[in-house]
Amino acid sequence: MAKTYDYLFKLLLIGDSGVGKTCVLFRFSEDAFNATFISTIGIDFKIRTIDLDGKKIKLQIWDTAGQERFRTITTAYYRGAMGIMLVYDITNEKSFDNIRNWIRNIEEHASRDVEKMILGNKCDMNEKRQVSKEKGEQLAIEHGIKFMETSAKASINVEESFFTLARDIKAKMDRRMDATSPPKGGGQKLPTNQSQSKKSWWKCTIL
Amino acid sequence: MAEATPSKLKSEHWKRLDSVQDAESLRQESINAKHEHLIAEIETSDGPLATTLRAVYDDDELGKFVTLLESRIKSHDREIERMCNYHYQGFIDSVRELLQVSTDAAHLRGEIDATNMGLQVSCEDLLKKGDHLIRCRRVQKNIASAIEQLTLCLPVLEMYGKLQEQMKTRRFYPALKTLEQLEHTYLPRVSTHWFSETMAEAIPQLRNRIKEASMVDLKDFLENIRKHSAKIGEVAMRHAAEQNNMDPSIVKKKGRKRKAPAPPNPFTGEIETTDDGTSNVANVTDDEDDVEEELSAQDLIDFSPVYRCLHIYTVLSDREHFESYYRKQRRKQALLSLQPSPNMHESIDSYRKYFHDIIGFFVVEDHILSTTQGLVNRAYMDESWETSVSKIVAVLRTNSAQCNEGSMMLEIKKLIVLFCHTLKGYGFSVGHLLELLLELRDQYSDTLTRQWVGVFNGIFADDNYTPIYIECEAEYISVITQFPFTDEELQQSPYPKRFPFSEFVPNVYNQVKEYVNACLKFSADLHLSHTEIDDMIRKSTNLLLTRTLSACLSSLIKKPNLSLLQLIQISINMNYLEKSCSHLEDYISNITGAEKDSVHVARLHGTSMFKDARSEAEDYIYKKLNNKIDEFLELAAYSWGMSEPSTHPSGYLMDLIAFLQSIFMSFTNLPAMVTTVPEKVAKTACMSACKHIANSLMNFLLDNNIQQLTHYALQQFSLDVLQCEQFAASEPVPGFNDGTLQLAFVDLRQLLDLFIKDEWSTYLAEYGNPKAKYIRVKPHVAISIMEKLSNTEKKKNKVFASLKKNERDKKKLQEVVLKQLKGLVNGQTQSSNHS
Repeated sequence: MAKTYDYLFKLLLIGDSGVGKTCVLFRFSEDAFNATFISTIGIDFKIRTIDLDGKKIKLQIWDTAGQERFRTITTAYYRGAMGIMLVYDITNEKSFDNIRNWIRNIEEHASRDVEKMILGNKCDMNEKRQVSKEKGEQLAIEHGIKFMETSAKASINVEESFFTLARDIKAKMDRRMDATSPPKGGGQKLPTNQSQSKKSWWKCTIL
Repeated sequence: MAEATPSKLKSEHWKRLDSVQDAESLRQESINAKHEHLIAEIETSDGPLATTLRAVYDDDELGKFVTLLESRIKSHDREIERMCNYHYQGFIDSVRELLQVSTDAAHLRGEIDATNMGLQVSCEDLLKKGDHLIRCRRVQKNIASAIEQLTLCLPVLEMYGKLQEQMKTRRFYPALKTLEQLEHTYLPRVSTHWFSETMAEAIPQLRNRIKEASMVDLKDFLENIRKHSAKIGEVAMRHAAEQNNMDPSIVKKKGRKRKAPAPPNPFTGEIETTDDGTSNVANVTDDEDDVEEELSAQDLIDFSPVYRCLHIYTVLSDREHFESYYRKQRRKQALLSLQPSPNMHESIDSYRKYFHDIIGFFVVEDHILSTTQGLVNRAYMDESWETSVSKIVAVLRTNSAQCNEGSMMLEIKKLIVLFCHTLKGYGFSVGHLLELLLELRDQYSDTLTRQWVGVFNGIFADDNYTPIYIECEAEYISVITQFPFTDEELQQSPYPKRFPFSEFVPNVYNQVKEYVNACLKFSADLHLSHTEIDDMIRKSTNLLLTRTLSACLSSLIKKPNLSLLQLIQISINMNYLEKSCSHLEDYISNITGAEKDSVHVARLHGTSMFKDARSEAEDYIYKKLNNKIDEFLELAAYSWGMSEPSTHPSGYLMDLIAFLQSIFMSFTNLPAMVTTVPEKVAKTACMSACKHIANSLMNFLLDNNIQQLTHYALQQFSLDVLQCEQFAASEPVPGFNDGTLQLAFVDLRQLLDLFIKDEWSTYLAEYGNPKAKYIRVKPHVAISIMEKLSNTEKKKNKVFASLKKNERDKKKLQEVVLKQLKGLVNGQTQSSNHS
C-alpha cells in the first residue's frame, strides 16, 4: 500500500452527449480510438499517471454521461473535481451553444476555484465544421478559460490539453503551498489532505 | 557294137553244129567256141584282160585264135564302114540345121536384150515406189510399237505424277494408296524401262517421306489439340451442366449475357431478320456466337491427321510404333494438363482452365477411342484416368488447402461436381473425386468457420451495445422478421420503444443462418440424402457455435476496453440468442428437409454455449467492477502511524462509495434505463464488489510491510469500514436489503471493534463458542495486528523515554493477550495436528 504518486488530481469531462468525451479519455488513457458510438452510462473513470516537473501525478479522470437523464448522478462529481474539461463538437453548433449551460452548471455545483478548459473536439472533420476556431477562442476568453481544438481520432492536442490542465492545477497548488495557507474549500480538501498525509508518511519513513 | 555281139554268138553256135559229126571236127568246134567266148569276153570286158589273155595263152591254139580274132576284126571293120555310109547324110543335114539354129539363137538373143532394156526402163519408177513403200511400212510398224509402249508407260507416269501431286498437297493417305498401286500393279508392267527402276528406288523414300510428313501432321494435330483441349473441355462441361440441370455459367469465365435468338416465324419457320441493318449485323454475329457455342468437341478439332496418320502407319504396317508414339505423346500432354499453374489457388479461373484442360484431354481420347479401332483402348483410357485422378486429387487437395474464402471453395466444388458429371458421362469412374469432395466439404466448413470469425468480430466491433431503438412499426417489423422474438408487452407499448437486446443479436442470428445456407450450398449436387445433409449442417453449425462463435464471444468478453455496460448488454444478448437456438433448429430442418423429430438428428449445442458465454460475461462484469475498485484502492494512502484522531473517512473511499452508488443507481434505478440489468447480475455484482472491498481492506491491515500501527490509524480505518457498511445497508440494489451485503464487512468490523474496544477478555473467554461476539476474528490475524501496535509503542517509548504507568499496564496487557493468542494459535495447530 505504499504510495506510488506525489499528487492525485481529479479531472472531470463534461459536455453534450456524443461530443466525444469518452473517446478523448480513451485516447489519453489507452492511446487508442474506437469509432463506434457507445454512450456512457452514468459515470466512469480512468486513471493515468503522468510525469510533471519530476513529480508523479495520478490523474483520475471522470467521464460523465452527456445525456440529460444522468445529470443527477454526474453533477455529484463536480464538487470533488480539481479540473474540468468542457468538451463540444466542432461539427455540432448545438453542443457549442450548450457550453454556456455547462459553465453555469459548473458555477452552480463545482468548487469556486476549479481549473477549467474548453475543448473543441473532432477537429479532424474540418469539412463538417460548424463552429469556427475563432468562436471557440472567443468564448474561452469571455470566461477566462484556456481553449484547444482536439481530435481523439487523429490524436491531435489530446495529450497537450490534459497536460496543460494538470500543469495549471499543479501551479495553483504550488502557489497555495508556498503561501502555506491552510486548505480551504471542499474541492481542495481532498488533495490537501492527501498531501498532508503524504508528508506525514514521509516523516515515518525518515524515522 | 552291142548289135554285133549277138550275131557273132549265133555264128559260133552254128560252127559248133557243124563239127559235131566228127570228133575232130567236134574238138575243133569246142576250140572255136572257146575262142569265140574269149573274144566276147574281151569285147565286153572293160577291165584288165590279163586273165582272158592268160586263158588264150594257155591254149595252144593261139594261131587259130589270132586268125579268128583277125576275122572278127575284119567283120567289125566292115560293119563300121557300112554304118558310116548309112549315117553320113544325116550328119550333113544335122550340121546344116545346127548352123541354122545358131543364127536363130543369135537373133533371139538380140531380141531378148532389147526387151530386157525396155523392161529395165519401164520398171525403174515402180522399183522406187516399192522402196518407199517398204520404208513407210517400217515406220508404221515402229509407230505402232511405240504407241503400245507408251500406253503401257503412261498410266505409270500418270500415277507417279498423281503421287507427286498428292505428296505436294499433303494428301498422304491417297498418296500411299497410289504408291501401293504403282508398286504392285504398274511398275512391273514397265519393268523394261529404265525409269521404272528409278521409281522403284524412289518408292521406299517416298514411303518414309509420307511417314514423316504424316508424323509432322500428327504433331501439329497434337499441338493443336493441346491448344484447343481447354475449349473442348469447356464445351463438354457446359453440355454436362445443361444435361444435369446445373448452371452452365459455372463453366464460363463471365456469365456473358446473350440475347435470346428471335423465335422462328411460325409460318415460314425462318428466323425473321429485322429491317434495321445494324441490328441485323448484330444478330448475325450473335448467331455466329451461338454456332460457336453449339459446336461439339469434335467440331472444334480436325481429327483427320490422326486417322490419316493411323491409316498410313497401318498401311505401312508400322501401326504399333504409331500407337505407342501417340500414347506416349498423349501421356505427356496429360501430364502437362495435370500440372496446375503455380498459383492456381488464387483464382477460380485457373481452376476452370485446369478442369477444362483435363476434360479436353479425355474428351479427345474418348473421341479417338470411338472413332479409331484400337489406337487407344479402354484399358489404356482407364489406366491414364486412374493415374490422372490420383494426381488431380492431390493437386486439388493441396490447392484447396490454400484457399481461405468460402465462396471460392464453393465455386471449386461446383467445378469439381461438374467435372465429375462430365467425365462420368464419358464413362470414367469418379469415386475418388467424390471422396475428395467430402474431404473438401470439411475444408469448406473450416474455411467458412474461419471466415465467420471475421464476420462475428465485425459484428462485435460495429455493435453499439445499446438496446435496439425503434421509432415506428416498420422498424419494429424489420427487427422481428430478422430475429424470432415475441413479447406482448413490447408489442403493445407505444413508439419509440426498445428491444431488450442490441443489434448484434439479430446480426449474429442472421450470420449463423447465413453460415447454414453457405454450408447447404456445398451439399447441393452432391446427391446426398436429406438426413446426411441435415447431419452435416448440424455438425458444422455446432462447430460454428461451440468453437467459432464461442471463441469470438469469449475474446470479445475478455477485451480490456469493454465497459461494464457493454458486458452487461452482452450478457443480456446471450439470453436472447440462447432462446433463438430452437428457431435455428427449425430453420435447419426446414432447409434440409430432414425430419425434425427424427431420433438421429443431432441437437444444436447453442443453448449451453450461450449460457456459458453469458456466465463468462457476468464473471467479467464482476471482475471489471473489481478492477475499478482496485483502481480506487490503489489511490489509498493510509498513514498507519498517525498520532492524532481524524474525523473524516479517507477521500479515496468516499469516491469509491460514491462511484459504486452511481453505478448501481445507473444499473437499476433510472426510469428510462437503456439497458435493464438483470436483478441477479446487479445483486451479484454488488455482493462481489462489497466482498472485494472487504478483502482488500483486510489485506491493507494485514500487509506485512506495515511494521507499525497506531490506534488512531485503526480508528481512521474503522471510519472507512463504517462508510462501507453504510453503503451496504443503503440498499444499493433495490430489494437487496436482507443483510447479506453487510455480512461482507463483518470480519473487518469484529476485528476493528475488538481492538478499539479492547474486549480481549470477552474474545478469549468466548473463543471457540459458536455464539461468540468476535467469532470471526482469527487469532493469528489478531496477533499480527497486536504485534504491529506494540511495535509502534516500543518505538514511541524509545523516543519518549518516560513511561507512564497506565501505558506500562497497557503494554503488559498487550503482552498477556499476545501470549494467550499465540497459545490459541499453537493449540489450534496442535489440535489440528492431533486430528
